[in-house]
Amino acid sequence: MSVIGRRSAWALGLMAWLLALGGCGAGHERGPVTLVFKYARILGNADPLPELLRAFEAAHPDVRVKGEALPWASDDQHQFYVINLEGRSPGFDVMMLDCIWVPEFARAGWLLDLTSQLAPDELAPYFPSAVASATYNGRVWALPWNFNVGLLYYRADLLTKYGLRPPETFEEMIDQVRRIRAGERDPALNGYVWQGKQYEGLVVNVLEAFWANGTTVMEDDGKVFPDPARAADALKFLRGLITMGVSPAWTTAADEELSRRAFGDGHAIFLRNWPYAMDLFEGQGSAVRGKVAFASLPGRARGAPGVGSTGGAHLGVSARSRYPELALALARHLTSERAQRAIALGAALSPTRQALYRDPELVRERPAMPRLEALALAGRPRPVIPYYLLLSATVQPEFSAALVGVKSPERAIADADARLAYFLQAVR
Amino acid sequence: MTGREAAARRRALVCVAPTVVALGALTVYPGIWVVWLSLQHRIPIFDVSRFAGFENYAFLAVDPRFWSAARITAVFTLGSVALEVVLGVAAALAIHAQVRGRKVSLSLLLLAWAMPAVVGAKLFEWLYHPSAGVINVALGRHAINWLGDPNVALPAVILADVWRTMPFVAILCYARLLAIPADVYEAAQVDGAGRLATLTRITLPLLGRILLLAILFRTLDALRAFDIMFVLTGGGPAGATETLTIYAYRALFQTLQIGFGSAVSVVVFALVMAVAWAYLRLLRTGTVAA
Repeated sequence: MSVIGRRSAWALGLMAWLLALGGCGAGHERGPVTLVFKYARILGNADPLPELLRAFEAAHPDVRVKGEALPWASDDQHQFYVINLEGRSPGFDVMMLDCIWVPEFARAGWLLDLTSQLAPDELAPYFPSAVASATYNGRVWALPWNFNVGLLYYRADLLTKYGLRPPETFEEMIDQVRRIRAGERDPALNGYVWQGKQYEGLVVNVLEAFWANGTTVMEDDGKVFPDPARAADALKFLRGLITMGVSPAWTTAADEELSRRAFGDGHAIFLRNWPYAMDLFEGQGSAVRGKVAFASLPGRARGAPGVGSTGGAHLGVSARSRYPELALALARHLTSERAQRAIALGAALSPTRQALYRDPELVRERPAMPRLEALALAGRPRPVIPYYLLLSATVQPEFSAALVGVKSPERAIADADARLAYFLQAVR
Repeated sequence: MTGREAAARRRALVCVAPTVVALGALTVYPGIWVVWLSLQHRIPIFDVSRFAGFENYAFLAVDPRFWSAARITAVFTLGSVALEVVLGVAAALAIHAQVRGRKVSLSLLLLAWAMPAVVGAKLFEWLYHPSAGVINVALGRHAINWLGDPNVALPAVILADVWRTMPFVAILCYARLLAIPADVYEAAQVDGAGRLATLTRITLPLLGRILLLAILFRTLDALRAFDIMFVLTGGGPAGATETLTIYAYRALFQTLQIGFGSAVSVVVFALVMAVAWAYLRLLRTGTVAA
């Protein structure tokens, strides 16, 4: 390369560098404000999100909203947030959060405390359980966006055929499974399918079994396994469902989708799942269309009535957002009644605002909504603690070991308790 | 030392410097940092950070979940590498013996190898599906609970891994086979060696060194295997497919116990180093004929 050539190359490089710098500066100072919204893509007939974001831009002419997709799996989303927030990246303003992460992120100082910004009765229209999981240390850290609660789906056609009503206790359900299968003589027809794979869903299912048996995994004062005997009894009962053939052997590998498909293909009488499944059962070409209904999860004979665990997503504002007021405005816009109606109509997600469950337009599209309200209202959140993932990851293999029968339920509870004691003493 | 020698030495140092700096910055420094982290109780997001000495290692020494993960890592590594070698050599010999369509066979083999691990795992997730999976449909009434039975899950995961990585061994061996001169075989034929004798006395010994190299790569990969069990089982059921890397991931990235998770990582690191060192010694001593 000639001397002149080299020199002009340097000059070009320098110019590009200056231009890039100038570009950055201009973006900060004068251009329109850009808010970044991190969310997992919503599946359904139509993703209502882009239109909702455009509506926000229309109301705030000098604001642009960039919706950025999160990874698909919940574990990956959590990892993405942890790496970026711990690394102090200011890359986003509004974050979609699984409700179980809120206390963790709040304690880490990653979320903006919204308490003082909220009107006194602003959270009143939401389900209490949804608000509870957005609250930590008496402060509110996020706005509830969509809501989940564990339900018992059943084959209404089969129950009617045998003159049965949806079971109120598990004992009753086992009896119904025996009667229906004796009558149907279909070896491919399973009784009750649920989630027993070693993952978060297993913890949810076991927790519901604990509640029905009058105990829990962690009390409000932080005591772990307050009643180990009842906890072990609940695990034994779940294991029994598999050994006596009420639930298939593959329950120990089943997640939401695996169990949902088995039921949706007509191969099960009962299913534990979230509200989203109903839309799929009622969809075009579904093998069980018009044959499915849902009820509260069963309780135990001589025990508490059944309660579904709640879940769902919240919207939080990043503590590093450069435009906290605008970010909160966006979170408010997306959790508003109008937005939640649009999301419920376009996708299979359920609203966190109670009034929408009686909204005429929504009820026309999704007739099961009013029945869902009572069950959602009764739902209970998982422990609202900053180290929930530590708790869950520690108990998962122990619960799974009891389910597949390599450990006695008592032993599994004792081992989980001992491990938690070691790990929790480090964080408390 | 003459002036010229000193200059050559200086130049050598200058040439080596970038490598030393890069290795130091990218390997040695993080390595030492991880060892340092493993001696602490450290959970940054909760502002937990205090020196723990060997507490994390002491806990690991009596931690049944850790020993189970170590045992599963060993079984997975031995099982998958052994199967890969047997099947890989067999595939290489078969392709070598093929008269026509070698290119097609090679491309099909490479297809599995070129597939990202997660895609391969997803494929097997469907194959192992309890009711709709091809395998169980074929088995009919004798369907197997592939991923839900603690005794079957690990072999199922090994099988999926072997399917994906066997081609690597096969192609390395095939390349070596092509390099064996034809006159060696002709001489054997003249001496009256049968097919079996040719295989055991000529082909396999000549494969020895490249095979050892393939085993080294595959063992190190298998010791660190992660994607396949993460997608298929998440480490379950009952932790039956939880390897040390899955255990380290859960501690480091899911529950953010940086200190404890680093202790698990240090063990994995030490294990990989020990195995690599043993293989390299074996390669250097030249006990295996090339």
